[in-house]
Formats: sequence, structure tokens, C-alpha cells
Amino acid sequence: MLLDTPHTQHRVEPPPSTGALDTLRGAAYRIGALAKHNTLIRLRDPGQMISYVAMPMVLMLVLKPLYVRAVEGGATQVATGLMVMFSVFAISIAGNAILVERTWRTWDRLRASRAPATELLLGKTLPIFVVMVVQQSILLVYGCLVIGLPIPRAPQYVVFAIAIWAFALLSIGAALATIVRSHGELSVISDVGALTLSSLGGALVPLSIMPDWAQVAAHISPGYWALTMMQAAVRGDAAGTLAPAGVLLAIGLVAGTFAVRRLTRGWGRGHLL
Amino acid sequence: MLEAIDLVKCYGPVRALDEFSLHVDAGEIVGLVGHNGAGKTTFVEIVSYLTRPDSGHVTIDGKPPSAVKGQVGVAPQHIALYPSVSVREHLELFGKLAGLRGQALTTAIDDIVVALRLGDFIDRHAAVLSGGQQRRTQAATALIHRPALLLLDEPTAGADLETRQAMLDVVKQRAGEGAAVVYTTHYLPELTELKATIAVVRNGRVIARGTHEELVDGLPGEVQLTFDNEEEITVSTTHPANTLIDLLSREDRPISTVDVRNPSLDDLYRSLAVSNAP
Repeated sequence: MLLDTPHTQHRVEPPPSTGALDTLRGAAYRIGALAKHNTLIRLRDPGQMISYVAMPMVLMLVLKPLYVRAVEGGATQVATGLMVMFSVFAISIAGNAILVERTWRTWDRLRASRAPATELLLGKTLPIFVVMVVQQSILLVYGCLVIGLPIPRAPQYVVFAIAIWAFALLSIGAALATIVRSHGELSVISDVGALTLSSLGGALVPLSIMPDWAQVAAHISPGYWALTMMQAAVRGDAAGTLAPAGVLLAIGLVAGTFAVRRLTRGWGRGHLL
Repeated sequence: MLEAIDLVKCYGPVRALDEFSLHVDAGEIVGLVGHNGAGKTTFVEIVSYLTRPDSGHVTIDGKPPSAVKGQVGVAPQHIALYPSVSVREHLELFGKLAGLRGQALTTAIDDIVVALRLGDFIDRHAAVLSGGQQRRTQAATALIHRPALLLLDEPTAGADLETRQAMLDVVKQRAGEGAAVVYTTHYLPELTELKATIAVVRNGRVIARGTHEELVDGLPGEVQLTFDNEEEITVSTTHPANTLIDLLSREDRPISTVDVRNPSLDDLYRSLAVSNAP
């Protein structure tokens, strides 16, 4: 190895150019190391994750009678609506997880390592992705057992829908983290923006009882597509699941690509607060 | 090992590097000294591929920084650690990112723990470490994979005596093994102990380069005599010993203390950098 010192007794992995398989193996190893590291950080500060599971459970229970009286299929609306609404907070979790690396000045240390920005982002968001899937699964089971959500005819559609939605949210969160200048800015954009968009998408109030203009405007909200997808998945409607999934996948890819490009460049000294 | 030629880097109207050139051989320690804002950190960032130069080029072992990304050991100026992560977990992360695995990783961690004296606090989280312990931990994450090029940006800033000594010992050891070291510092006596060659940086370029003797030769030191009646004489001189003999032969007052200070790197630093700073 050219760049090892002559007396080294340590084996340093060959550089990525040695072959496609080595490149993949090396990338998987680094992503695994980063994911483990970020899981540790997350587990040592779990309060936020716990609240995002507990709060929708309480709200589902309290709001169920209201929804059941207001609309047909009220139990489905309250369960899926709050699942979507409280998953939107993942934007804030992902954004903060990236932004805090800037506060700690650790992002440049990671950038100086062998891992490219894509690996750093994957290692960063994988644990949050798992958390989201677990959160949504818990809420789904809770919805079926306690709230009266119909048991999904095709659970695989629901798992697929949860995964797509998680991907879109985490990509949006990562992209946001690269353009805001502080945790305060991120909080304003992710919390207010996410609540507005999920409400507009029909997660809080059923679209059918919203004004006409809101029903049209709902289409610009990722929350609308997530809710449509989730409800179709619970019904076991493959076509109804795939169409909104395509929209969310596109949003996720655009946001994710933007985040990777920005993170490759770093924040730079001129942009630090 | 490291060759930087005519690097230019601007941040808006600020010209951080202005035709900065530097050559570092394998096994050589180069001390980069200069006032704050001279361009030292920008140079380190370019070599570690965190920033691209506007013009000029850098090669590491004949390759551009992009080709050897991650194979250079970088300890940045500011502490950059994860507060809720232990020292051992930091070492595991950075070791793995450098490609170490299995027994090689375990051995590397054991070695650096001994070398930088991290054993007493290896399982403590970074947030509860003292400043010196954090400095050592940060350096350990840069050194764990035994890189052939080390970029240490003020690694002992604010550090205690134990940290400073541990750091200097490891740097000397790694250079002895063949690593090229770029060591930026304001603590110039450290460079004397490291037997480093010195590059003085001002306004984004290297304005003087040489060994301690080459650069310090000709600079004035000081001779100070304090008399019993508390009067003092201080003479600035390029030949302190001769001046002292001369003074002693001429003075007949009772002398309480004699202080001879040979020209130091501080004098060089002041003469080249501070006194000429814009």
C-alpha cells in the first residue's frame, strides 16, 4: 500500500479503484460502521423517538369518536392520518441529525475519510429509516387492535408504502439540513412546513370536508400522496398504492440527490453561523 | 511525499492562500508557523480534500488529494468529537472508515491507546473529557491507521503538559517510521523538540523555510544582568555569550542574577511574521 508507512503492521484496505466488488464491499463496510455509530447516538437520546410513537397513539384514541361521527371510514382516516402526520416529523429528526454534525464540527472529519457523501448520508439516515419503519408498524398494529383500522389485506403493500414514505421524508430532511443555517431555521421550516403540508394533504382533517381550493391544493403536498398511498395499501389496492408511491419516490430522489451534492461540498467556512 | 505548488484560494475578497508552495519529504516534520489567518488551516483543508484551490496544485505521493482521500491523517484545529460517544467508539469508527477491520482494528486501537495514553478514559464519553483528553482523542482518530502523511493543525492548542508530551512523542515516532508530518502550531518550542524544519507563513504564502539553525542564525537574543540594588541592564545581541563576558568585565557592581537568552523561534516568528503583518 503506497500510503502506509514502512513500519506499519496494520492492514489498510485497498483504495476503491481495485475492482467493483472491492468497491462495493468497502462501501458496505463503511456504511455499516456509520449506521452503527449513528444508531448509538440515537439510542443515547431516544426521547424524541418515543414521543413520536406515544403522541399519535394518544391522539388516535382521543380523536377517534370525532372522526367516526364526521366521516365514513373515520377509523381508517384517524389512524392513517395521524400515522402520516407524525411520520412527517422524521424530516426534523433527519435534518437535525445532519445539522448537528456541523455544530460538532464532525462533518468535515467524515468528509475527509474514504466515505463519499452518499455513504455518509446513507449511514446517517439508515438508523432513522429503521426507526420510522418501526414507528409506523407500531402505529399500524395499534390502529388495527385499538382504533378499529381494518387489518390490511396485503401487508406487503403497507410495508412498501411505509418504506417509500420514509425514504421521501428522510431525503427531504437531508436536503433541508443542507440549506438552513441553524437548528432554529430547520425547526421553523420542518415543523411548521411539515404540519402545514400534512394538514393540507388531509392527514389531520379529511379532504372530503375541506374547501374546494384546499382539495386542489392538496396535490402539491407530499402528505396527500402519502395518505393516498397508505390508505390504498391498507385496502390492498396495488394500483392505488403504486401511483402515489411513484410521486413520492421522485420527490425522494430529487431531494436526496440535492442533499448529496450539497453535502459533498460541505458547508464551508464562509457559511458557518 | 507532499508537494504543493503555487496554491491560490480566495474566500470572497480574502486571499487565504497566495501562491503557497511547500514540499515535505517522507520522514520529515515541517512546522507551519504564522499568525492567525496566515493560511495554515486553508492549506490543511486543501491537502485533506475538504476544499479545492482556485489555482495551483497539490500532489501526495504523486497523486492528487482526491485519489488518496481518507488515507491522510487529519487532526483539525477545533475539537470535532461526538459528545455522547466514547473514546473507544470514536477509534472504532475512524479506524473502520480508514479500512481497518478485525484483529488489525483491535491492534491499531490498542497501539494508539498506549501511545497517546488514553487508557484511563477510553470508555468515557467525549463530552465529559478534559480539553487535553479531547485533544488526544482527536489526534488518535487521525493517527489510528498509521497514515503516511499527517496533517496536525494546532494539535496541542490549550493542551496540558501530559497531552503535549504524548503528542510530541507520537509525532516523533511516526516521523521516525517514515511518515511525512505537517504540524501547524503557535508553540514554537515544540518544533525545536520535534527537530522540525520550519516554514513561516504570512499572508497566504511561505516567506521563509529552513532548519531551526538556518532561520534563527543572526537573530538577536538577550543578556540581562540584575544588580543587588535591583537595577537591571538588558542588552539585545546576536552573540549572547560574548556580550555577557564583555558586560561582566566592565561591571564592578554586585550582581544578583544573570539571564542569557539565546535567539529563539519566537524571535524568528516575531521578526518575520508579526512585525511585518499588515
